[in-house]
Amino acid sequence: MEKVLDKKSFPQWVTKLSSYKVYAPVQEDEAWNYEVITNPEKVNLDFPNTVLSPKKIIFPQREVYLEFSSSDEDGLELKEVLPEEEPSVIFGVRPCDARALALTDKVFSGDFEDIYYWKRRNQVALVGLACSVPPSPNCFCLSVDGSPFSTEGLDILMSDLDSKYFVEVFSKKGEQLINAAKTLFKPATEKDKKELEKNRTEAKKRISRQIQNIKKIPPVLKGMFDSPFWDEESMSCLRCGICTYLCPTCHCFDINDEVLSSSPLKGRRIRTWDNCQFPDFTMHSSGHNPRPDKASRLRQRIMHKFQYFVDRYKNYQCTGCGRCISRCPVGIDIIEVLDKVSSYEG
Amino acid sequence: MAEVFEPKIVAFLCKWCSSAGSDLAGVSRMEYPPNVVPIQVMCSGSVSPLYILSAFNKGADGVLVSGCHPGDCHYIKGNFYARRRIALVKRLLEFIGLEPQRFQMSWVSAAEGTKYTQIIKDFVQELKPLGPQTKLRRDL
Amino acid sequence: MVNLEDLKKEAKAVLEEGKVKYIIGYEKSANGLMPVPGFIKSPEEVEKLIWTPACVYNLTKFLVDEKRRKSREKKPDERPVGLVVKGCDSRALIVLLQEKFINRDDVFIIGVSCEETGVIDEKKFLKKLKGKKAEKIEFDEKDNFMVTTQEGKVKVAASEVLAERCLECKANSPLIYDVILGEKVKRSMDNPFQSLEKLESLSEEERWKFWKEQLSKCIRCYACRSVCPMCYCDECVADTINFAVTADTTAEEKAQKIKWLEKSPVKSENFVYHLVRAIHLAGRCIDCGECERVCPLDIPIRFLNKKLEKDAKELFDYEAGFDPEQASLVSSFKDEDPEDFIR
Repeated sequence: MEKVLDKKSFPQWVTKLSSYKVYAPVQEDEAWNYEVITNPEKVNLDFPNTVLSPKKIIFPQREVYLEFSSSDEDGLELKEVLPEEEPSVIFGVRPCDARALALTDKVFSGDFEDIYYWKRRNQVALVGLACSVPPSPNCFCLSVDGSPFSTEGLDILMSDLDSKYFVEVFSKKGEQLINAAKTLFKPATEKDKKELEKNRTEAKKRISRQIQNIKKIPPVLKGMFDSPFWDEESMSCLRCGICTYLCPTCHCFDINDEVLSSSPLKGRRIRTWDNCQFPDFTMHSSGHNPRPDKASRLRQRIMHKFQYFVDRYKNYQCTGCGRCISRCPVGIDIIEVLDKVSSYEG
Repeated sequence: MAEVFEPKIVAFLCKWCSSAGSDLAGVSRMEYPPNVVPIQVMCSGSVSPLYILSAFNKGADGVLVSGCHPGDCHYIKGNFYARRRIALVKRLLEFIGLEPQRFQMSWVSAAEGTKYTQIIKDFVQELKPLGPQTKLRRDL
Repeated sequence: MVNLEDLKKEAKAVLEEGKVKYIIGYEKSANGLMPVPGFIKSPEEVEKLIWTPACVYNLTKFLVDEKRRKSREKKPDERPVGLVVKGCDSRALIVLLQEKFINRDDVFIIGVSCEETGVIDEKKFLKKLKGKKAEKIEFDEKDNFMVTTQEGKVKVAASEVLAERCLECKANSPLIYDVILGEKVKRSMDNPFQSLEKLESLSEEERWKFWKEQLSKCIRCYACRSVCPMCYCDECVADTINFAVTADTTAEEKAQKIKWLEKSPVKSENFVYHLVRAIHLAGRCIDCGECERVCPLDIPIRFLNKKLEKDAKELFDYEAGFDPEQASLVSSFKDEDPEDFIR
């Protein structure tokens, strides 16, 4: 389904979606992040990329698995806590972030379906915004099989054509959103489609950064496990954890118990994000740590994304959003590291 | 009947002076409000800022740190260190917007049972109008 | 003005003499204006060194890494590490020396003076350029920077783009060094804690609202802790699952370990983490501003440390990072310490 929406009518569409929980990028101080919208008039899609990807809405940084309590008479009682039923919409999802969710979907399905992830995933509609201008100077989606107008993982894709949005719908969820405000949408004309094509050709040219020879990288990485290359590259790493927490594809988690009171026993089991760049990520209870230094952790990050994930899921675990490059405190640049890998002669 | 708010005070009392002072108040059957949860530490200088923050995190409405008078510390200098550290913690907590009345320090010797009861009475009176402490209490 | 060629010459000399293992300095990045930390291992590589107003990083942190690396090696190279330091960074070095974390002969200090100006705040700088891409930024005479964009060169007043801490600078020239470049210029500093004034003038409820909003944003990435040179503990009290476990740690010890705060990035736990960190840095933080620079959510955590720095000065006349022989703030006392707040 291809439609066109006047930009001036966009706030009205959002207003008609009052039965959904609506998320959109909101600016606070200098940073943009996805927040719940209380005032539909204020939704503004004119933003550079957000600090945290919309992954945090579907896979929150902290969620409760179950509650436990105990008393002398009843013994230990466990209560499962599932995500609440609340149909939601996220506006302004960049294609790289949506592709990242499509990749994470693969991890949380298969032999074991993660019900917490899927309960949230199934009730969220993703409305994408194509990138006519790269939102970050470090974007490189084209190098990792993505594009500024990729539709993977999205229910709707909006493309900015100056005074109007070109709206493409791919799923039933998307159709429901359109139907909530049917009168605001007009069918797309041939002229609109031509404008879209031109817009997209220009958009592709504007992406300035790229990984050279990415196809060479997975096989080269296979032979680099014991190489001193990683020592060199990780010398300036601070093991701060920013790259992993900001990455839209990273999904490692930790499970902890939060005890609220010990007698009577009451508490919760929670899942939080975990970070492979933290020194204790692989600390065993025996005291042995197979990744004790920064070199092994940087190696893990690169190999997971560009070799292990490729072996397992036939995709790079990176969608080229560039957040890790922009926010690394010491300027470690994944594109530079990968370029060095592809020309590595060990 | 409406429930009156009863503030919960966590008091870190040094074993040699303040805790003994509170014992004296008890043995002498002096009346004072039962709102205190006393925690005996070896010296006021051993009170880490983490104890104070943890007390507020677990829901304490007020925190008191009490030690020997300067010059009388059982470990010679512990209370001098406490004087410095608690001053910094107090200023930091005020800076982030916690009500200054919620965190207090006192010198109470082993003979000052009366002073101890007066401190607690005053503390409870000051905390009652402030209501429960919600700012730093854990919200898990 | 610091002459880059002099810097390279000094670095080359000390490498050629084999005096140092390697030199940590600022290197040009292949992508963008901001430099990256450079590890110069051979005399030829000194060409990579740069010195511009964009050299914001506090490289002292890498001495902590170096110490860890040495402790893992069986036969470590005992030569010192060369380090390029600015005035503020040298104060961090002095604190590390004061705490005997490193020895004076573990480091060969190449000092550079910021003279009249300082380093930029990247966000302020990008705002000032209004979308234009800067290719180069250089120190210019007096209080200006010379910026080169695609449209040519333009002078920018330093005061408009300087990092916040440079406006309150206490040491514009390194206080400790083996080699010094640039001149020691006396800089007027009228208001040492001016950045705090606005916050301190707010009412209690306004301050609470400010800190509640800011610290609720925190995702506990611990970047602020990772970049701080003074946060060198192997086992951080605040990070409850990061503890130094060995094969000898008994199950009982592990079970008795106190959890001071939960892993959840909720407001109350974030407060405990940041407040504890600020108190542990009291009398040790020298305001290099790195914690605030690296925060991905732009939380102004520098104010917490700045407030304690101000209190240390006002209450105890204590300043960190000037004297490597002085006692630490919280394990020393004076008879005159104020006790008006004590009943």
